[in-house]
Amino acid sequence: MKNPPSLDSLIAALKVLPGVGPKSAQRMAFHLLQRDKAGAERLARALDKALSNLTHCERCNTFSETPVCNLCADASRRQDLLCVVEMPADLLMLEQAHCHDGLYFVLMGRISPLDGVGPRDVALEKLFHRALDGVVEEVIVATNFTAEGEATAHVVTELLKNRGLKLTRIARGMPVGGELEYVDPGTLAQAMFERRKL
Amino acid sequence: MQPGKVDHQPAYVLHSQPWRETSLLVEVLTRDHGRLTLVARSARRPQSALRGLLLPFAPLTIAWFGKGELRTLHAADWQGGVPQLSGMALICGFYLNELAMRLSARDDANPALFAAHDAAVRALAREPAYGAVLRRYEWALLTALGFAPPLDADDAQRPIDPAARYHVVPDASPHRLESGPADAGVGGATLIAMAAGDYADPAVRHEARGFLRACLDHHLGGRPLATRELLQAISALPE
Repeated sequence: MKNPPSLDSLIAALKVLPGVGPKSAQRMAFHLLQRDKAGAERLARALDKALSNLTHCERCNTFSETPVCNLCADASRRQDLLCVVEMPADLLMLEQAHCHDGLYFVLMGRISPLDGVGPRDVALEKLFHRALDGVVEEVIVATNFTAEGEATAHVVTELLKNRGLKLTRIARGMPVGGELEYVDPGTLAQAMFERRKL
Repeated sequence: MQPGKVDHQPAYVLHSQPWRETSLLVEVLTRDHGRLTLVARSARRPQSALRGLLLPFAPLTIAWFGKGELRTLHAADWQGGVPQLSGMALICGFYLNELAMRLSARDDANPALFAAHDAAVRALAREPAYGAVLRRYEWALLTALGFAPPLDADDAQRPIDPAARYHVVPDASPHRLESGPADAGVGGATLIAMAAGDYADPAVRHEARGFLRACLDHHLGGRPLATRELLQAISALPE
């Protein structure tokens, strides 16, 4: 017994999602078609709309429906400060923290050689032109403090050094309100290695 | 006692990737059990104690249980003493990890490989002479895996002459060149220094690099190293 071709193609399409194998994809397809047809329609329309409307912001490379996103178009933000992050979720978190009133650049990924993700797979060239537009004075590298995030930070630094820009990296150390007694030893050790002069 | 339980095993994380909703799939190099893959359950939850621990280039002792290919991480303890690698040292660290992942066999206990890995990570964190660290690691890795060509004598069983030149291939003794240009092959002095692990001389490092690269490429089976490509991409960045 074989599935009708359109069901098969739906199952195959669902398998593009990370962590979804043939069994999960089949389960999702049956659920959408049998139990939640309205949801399936919403999903189809939302996907279609996102695909046709969303592009990357010309300036910060995050997802946007307009050529320049709202944040980049906001003239009240400091134009000389550019904060480089890996993903849009990082940008949202920094916005929630109300700690940065400059602009952003979203790399849309991180360099991870062991996963086969190299410098060409993140938006380094776009960052290069954005950071050297003549208005930006300081570039804050806010990639993650994972090995991959640090490797990405290194490549960004190599790309932008000696070009008259001030390059900074967000600090790492004890969490705010952290007590030495309860912090994990890796964080504590690194806070000690990177202690600052008073 | 759970099946296949191992406790207090010195280990380094080589690589990790997300698995299911909140877990990590961690590739580790252990001292007495070789390279293996462990599931670290809930390691990606915000409150997980494993978050700051399961990082590459940090000496750990770990415990796991389970049978078969995929075992479950039970505990990880921070051993410390090595600051997180950054900058070029970090890229070199990725290179060590990639070599270990590509060349070592799973579940093949190899304390010599672990010792070489440990020494190389500590050296990268300490000294800026990355070239010497990488050459020493490459040779130690080839030796530990039994891939290193013998360097104690040439193919006619004569001792290596520091003044002579040798033709070297990845899996046989060096062949002494009786004539030819003065920069043909590899110098005897380099082979003696390599066997002794002495890479202080830049000329030795330079000659050893080409030879080691040929040996590694021979065993890597033609697939390029991603970290080598990354290094080339960094040096090709616009000036």
